Amino acid sequence: MLRARSSNVVLVRRRGTTLSLASLVTTLVLAGCGHGASTSGGDLSSASPDARVGYVRMAELVKVHPLYSQLARLDDDLQALQLRALGGNIARSGADVQHEELVLQHELDAAAAQTKIALAGKEQEYTRREQAAIAAALGAGAGASGPGGAQIASGMQAAAGLQAADVERAANQNLQTYRSELVKQDEDAVRSLQTSLSQRAAREYGARAEFLQKSEADFALQQATEDSSERLALRTKLSNLALDDAARADVKSQLDALDKKESDALGAMKNRDESTLAALRQRLHATAAFELNEQVAQIRKRTIAKINERTVDTRQSLIGQIGRIAGPGGGPVIPGGVSPDMKAKLTALHAKFQTDFNHDASKTIAQFQKTRSDLTRRFQALEGVDSDAQSGASKEMNDLQRQRGDLYNQMVAQIGREVKVLAQQRGINFVTSDVVAPAGGVDLTADAEKDIESLHE
Amino acid sequence: MMREKLRVPPFFRRRAALALGALLLGSALLAPATLAADVTDIGFVDQAALSSIPSFTRANRDLAAYKAGLDREFAKRMRGVRDQNTQARIAQEFQNKLNQRQHDVFGPLFERARVAIASVASSKNLSVVVDKRIVIFGGQDVTSSVVDLLNGPGDPIPPVNTPPPSNVGFVDQTQIDALPKLKAANDDFQKFQSDQQQIAQSKMKSAKSDADKQQVLKDYQSAVSDKQKQEIAPLVDQTRNAISDVAKKRGLLLVIDRSNLIYGGTDITSDVTSALK
Repeated sequence: MLRARSSNVVLVRRRGTTLSLASLVTTLVLAGCGHGASTSGGDLSSASPDARVGYVRMAELVKVHPLYSQLARLDDDLQALQLRALGGNIARSGADVQHEELVLQHELDAAAAQTKIALAGKEQEYTRREQAAIAAALGAGAGASGPGGAQIASGMQAAAGLQAADVERAANQNLQTYRSELVKQDEDAVRSLQTSLSQRAAREYGARAEFLQKSEADFALQQATEDSSERLALRTKLSNLALDDAARADVKSQLDALDKKESDALGAMKNRDESTLAALRQRLHATAAFELNEQVAQIRKRTIAKINERTVDTRQSLIGQIGRIAGPGGGPVIPGGVSPDMKAKLTALHAKFQTDFNHDASKTIAQFQKTRSDLTRRFQALEGVDSDAQSGASKEMNDLQRQRGDLYNQMVAQIGREVKVLAQQRGINFVTSDVVAPAGGVDLTADAEKDIESLHE
Repeated sequence: MMREKLRVPPFFRRRAALALGALLLGSALLAPATLAADVTDIGFVDQAALSSIPSFTRANRDLAAYKAGLDREFAKRMRGVRDQNTQARIAQEFQNKLNQRQHDVFGPLFERARVAIASVASSKNLSVVVDKRIVIFGGQDVTSSVVDLLNGPGDPIPPVNTPPPSNVGFVDQTQIDALPKLKAANDDFQKFQSDQQQIAQSKMKSAKSDADKQQVLKDYQSAVSDKQKQEIAPLVDQTRNAISDVAKKRGLLLVIDRSNLIYGGTDITSDVTSALK
């Protein structure tokens, strides 16, 4: 991007800034014309003697204005910020964040897969143990006619297992939907909170920066005005041809001292203001970050509590349903031909293994949930770092652009006043600030430059 | 705008010379301020003022509400999208939607404003109307007349006559920039600048101190500035000279960019593009 103060380059003069709606309206009213134009320089020897139309090359006049150094500094700051916008200390690159997210996703997938394998293993193990226990119970009840122990056990497991799997699948799906909805609500709330806090901080910072910048501009002008008579007197002395070398050097050194005094005073003020703004920026950032963290923590806490509550409810309801599936009377599905005593014994055995399995599986699931929570926190931190940094950089850039716009307008208004006086003195009754090439009009730039430069004095 | 030179028959030359002398003397006795107050046939409009009339503010509100809805939809669509191409495609899609809405909402208003400006300019015998932003001094401010016309009942009536010849010329810089050699140079420069920006960004990432960062910025600025001087500046001079030559041949006093012109003026774009080919 070209720097604005080099805007006299016709070919590349289009500005890339986003237009506000108002300026868009004003621009588009021009029946589809493009936006903006710049001044172009050129010689002025061709002005026709009777022409009463003049022009100035505003870009050149801006460069000799007393506040140009401030404008240039703002341009440099803006450019540095644009370059750093993707730098490490302001925001992390999208690619970096994407890479870290991928790594986290892999970790999460691995943890989920591991949990599934562990649960399947436990299920097999408990089924095997239950079958063995049922077979042993049936073997102990010798003389009973009907199907063998292994057959009964496997029939019980198969019927209960199929129904339990269906119920569990449905319950997990509901839980997942509920969790997704809560997380989405969470994200919306955090985003809205972040915007609100950023805007509040931006308003406070912007107001302070604007006030300081205006004070600096006023101070610079005030200094220039206060010293103008002294400077003029020194310049008058210098223009005296009869002045000897020593006296001339003395006057020059006095002029230099005057310049230095003004420059030092303004520099000191700017340094103070910069420190003030830096401290303010730090404070606002810290306050906003603190408030954000506090409120985000509360939101997350509420959400986690809700998810945990629903998880417990789902688990209890699941256990209840699976228990009911096991048989109409709360026991397992036991084929006929088994004595009532044996039936009661088998029901108790099934219930015991079911409880043991649930207890063991809960531990594995809890372990997985802990891993997932850790990873989710890291995901959120990653997103937070990225969006915080991006919005911070963008806000700072907007502030700087606004400051630059205000300062530029202030300078142009002052130049306009000087040019108007000059035009009236020269009997020129129309002056424009934007021409693309010299033609027959009078170029007032050189004369205006002298007047603008005298503002330094 | 500027009166054309009168062809005076020889019989009247002496008398005319005397009259002219008297006129010049009279003019010299008048204060410069009086001269400055002369009315020229250059007018200007403050377009910011036009944007605050009720029909425009209503349109602005309508567009702002539409944009707010679009922003929400955009945020929803962008959630979780990390791929830069997809991001760019979505952003473009939403930008197109907004542009279309702007066109629909403001198109009729702009046309009405254009007719109103032309009507006022014609009634005041103006040969050209420019944007207030480029006027430092002089000219006729026709903003209030245009606002009155736009706020009045019914549609403004287009002027019967075309604008009178004007000594204010204009060029459409976008057409000039589109000439092959200029476009090639411009594209080349943009690419160079973009490459330099990437290099600087990457250096900025690894820069440890403020001094290092300042140096990165300086190097970047210097590289871009050198390239500009080498490749762009000569073409800029060439273009400016061509515009200037055409303007002088056509007896123009000023040449402005088309984007600053609202009504009238003398279009010299085709002459300039021919001269540059």
